Amino acid sequence: MGTATPALLIPALVSSLVATLAMITPARAEPCTGSTGGGGRFATCFDLGNRLSVTAGSDGVGGAIALRHVIGFDDEPDLVWKLEHVVADATHGSWQERFSGALYRGRFLRHTRHGHIVLPLGTPRKVFLPFDIGGLVEAGTVRWAGNGDAAQTLRIGVVKTAALFDFARTRSFQRRFAIGPVARWDVDVDRGTGSLGAVDEHAVSLFSTVMADLHLASKTGVLSANVRIEAGTVWHSDTGWVPEAVAEASVERIVLAVNDRPIALVLGLKYETATEEAIARVGARVVLFHRTDARVNLRPLRTAVR
Amino acid sequence: MSGFRMRRSKSGAISVAIAALGIGLPAFAVADDLPPLMDHDSPVLCARDKEGQLWRIQCNPATKICLYAANNELDESGNRVKSLERARECAMDMAVDREKLEAAGFKMVSGRPDVPFGWTRDERGRVFQVNFDLKRRMYFGAAYTPKKILENPLESSRTSIDFGLLIFHLKSDGETPTVHRFRFVEGQVHLEPFSAELVIAHYDVSRRFLDPLLRITTFVGQPQRHDLKLNLGLWTEAGGLEIHRTSAGYSQLWKHATAQVTLDLWQSPILDSFIRLRTGIGLEGQRDEVNGYRSGLTASSALEMDFVLDPNGFHNFRLELAHEVPRYFVPVNSTSNYSQRLRAKVQYEAIVLAINDQPLTLKLAAGGEKRDDIPGVPHQWAFVMDAGLRFSLWAPPRPRS
Repeated sequence: MGTATPALLIPALVSSLVATLAMITPARAEPCTGSTGGGGRFATCFDLGNRLSVTAGSDGVGGAIALRHVIGFDDEPDLVWKLEHVVADATHGSWQERFSGALYRGRFLRHTRHGHIVLPLGTPRKVFLPFDIGGLVEAGTVRWAGNGDAAQTLRIGVVKTAALFDFARTRSFQRRFAIGPVARWDVDVDRGTGSLGAVDEHAVSLFSTVMADLHLASKTGVLSANVRIEAGTVWHSDTGWVPEAVAEASVERIVLAVNDRPIALVLGLKYETATEEAIARVGARVVLFHRTDARVNLRPLRTAVR
Repeated sequence: MSGFRMRRSKSGAISVAIAALGIGLPAFAVADDLPPLMDHDSPVLCARDKEGQLWRIQCNPATKICLYAANNELDESGNRVKSLERARECAMDMAVDREKLEAAGFKMVSGRPDVPFGWTRDERGRVFQVNFDLKRRMYFGAAYTPKKILENPLESSRTSIDFGLLIFHLKSDGETPTVHRFRFVEGQVHLEPFSAELVIAHYDVSRRFLDPLLRITTFVGQPQRHDLKLNLGLWTEAGGLEIHRTSAGYSQLWKHATAQVTLDLWQSPILDSFIRLRTGIGLEGQRDEVNGYRSGLTASSALEMDFVLDPNGFHNFRLELAHEVPRYFVPVNSTSNYSQRLRAKVQYEAIVLAINDQPLTLKLAAGGEKRDDIPGVPHQWAFVMDAGLRFSLWAPPRPRS
């Protein structure tokens, strides 16, 4: 049996040390991942835009599917399309005769480092702008408030669209301050007849209302707030042009998470001049399914092999 | 101007040689006299000058011209400010020998960096889109619509909105190129007097068949073959809605589903323009405040033209002449089971500017209609014209023909 010389031992020790180090996960801090004393991990950041949630509150019980994603371009890294979709957003007032829902709601913002207008007449010219642009789309919204009357009206929002000019100009979904003209077509249907064919009135905004849409969210997604104001004149088939305004604000604060699925406290306030109605609401939002925030690492901590 | 050499190694000699090239920032040309663009499909070389600045160089052996440009966007003062967008990768490890190039007859010319098809650059290297496919977009617009009815030329004016929430087509090439066209939630709403049209889903397909349906050979004189190509396709719509308000109240026409066979009389090489006939049948229901609800089967036919008039997609023209004959399951007013609807529409749309590469278009349209299925609407031709603006999202460059 031979004896190893120091010259041979040193490389062997180094390799052993390297192998051991490689098997230990470095205990570096991960900003969106908490850990318990026993090494268990939990999420501290949440993706608010990709989830199926149920909300129960003072205005009723409802749910929505939210999806959002970014489309980037390899050959133009400064350009991204930020796409947000909400599908089947519905709330039923269990203890009030109310229902509101939307089949589809989408917001598409094109963010680029340098916004611009191209004037294509003659030699194309480029004039730079300080905002991102995009659009908002809603199709198939339904709203009904019974108020205990025999005459009940169902308002169907056939389509709503808006051009958005986003002055927040961020690459992420964290901030938005968008302003733009709104076009929409709503149909009021007399629900008392039991037939959807009996139209009471049409209401059309011909880009004659303006929307201001503010969204702020914390980096972790634990706290988020939305403010939306729409004001202008709307044409009604019975009464002509009528000034209308809607203001709505909401705050969502995640207060706990079960199996890393967040449960949030939701506060909201809405005022409409058309109904002269101000509604405050408070509720709890439970996320049933969601996409784990990309910054969260829930893989279990590895231990050193000895 | 003395010669220069660019080598794979970063030797000082290379830097000196590049500096000697005299590549300075090109004097800014006036907008109407822009330097030539490099070809995006041909290789581009990159080389550094002695200050470490990167330049793009592209030589064309056919024209004996080498274009050079800064590998960055420039600010108003000519300073390099950011990386180029949508430029192809340049090869850094290639040798560029200016003396050899000039000895071989090449001329060094200030140029603009390359861009993909459908895009261009200004003199500072900033990229922007100049080719738009309005058949792939989401749009919404507003228009002014003065209406003229033959009996009452002083009918009130009105305004309108129109929208198309998603419009796109899918093209497959090959021996039998095929275009599938989709349109979702497209329509328009007119005020005073109120009318609205909406189609939830539209799908049609055009195909260019390789083999003729009929081959006719004539034997008078020299035998000759004559091919009769029938480029047949399909046209469908589901969830159509028309609402009209007349002196007799509201009328709602629900076009539940329509299917038609199409015959393309003419197709452009890339199938983006066509002239076609279509005919088929649909199921509809109509409700008004005089007759109540009635449903029926509707035979419909149309001549349709759709042209993209220029290679960059700036000018678009559409024409439609349609005839519909609904046959109701029960007679209307105990007189007849049939009604007639005749419709003509023509539309021209042109891009006037683009905001962040999203086009704003001017739409000019005219239409006429004659129908007897709506109580309160006189059975005579009524004409309408409108002019408005549309804002489109997406609208990528057209496919290269």
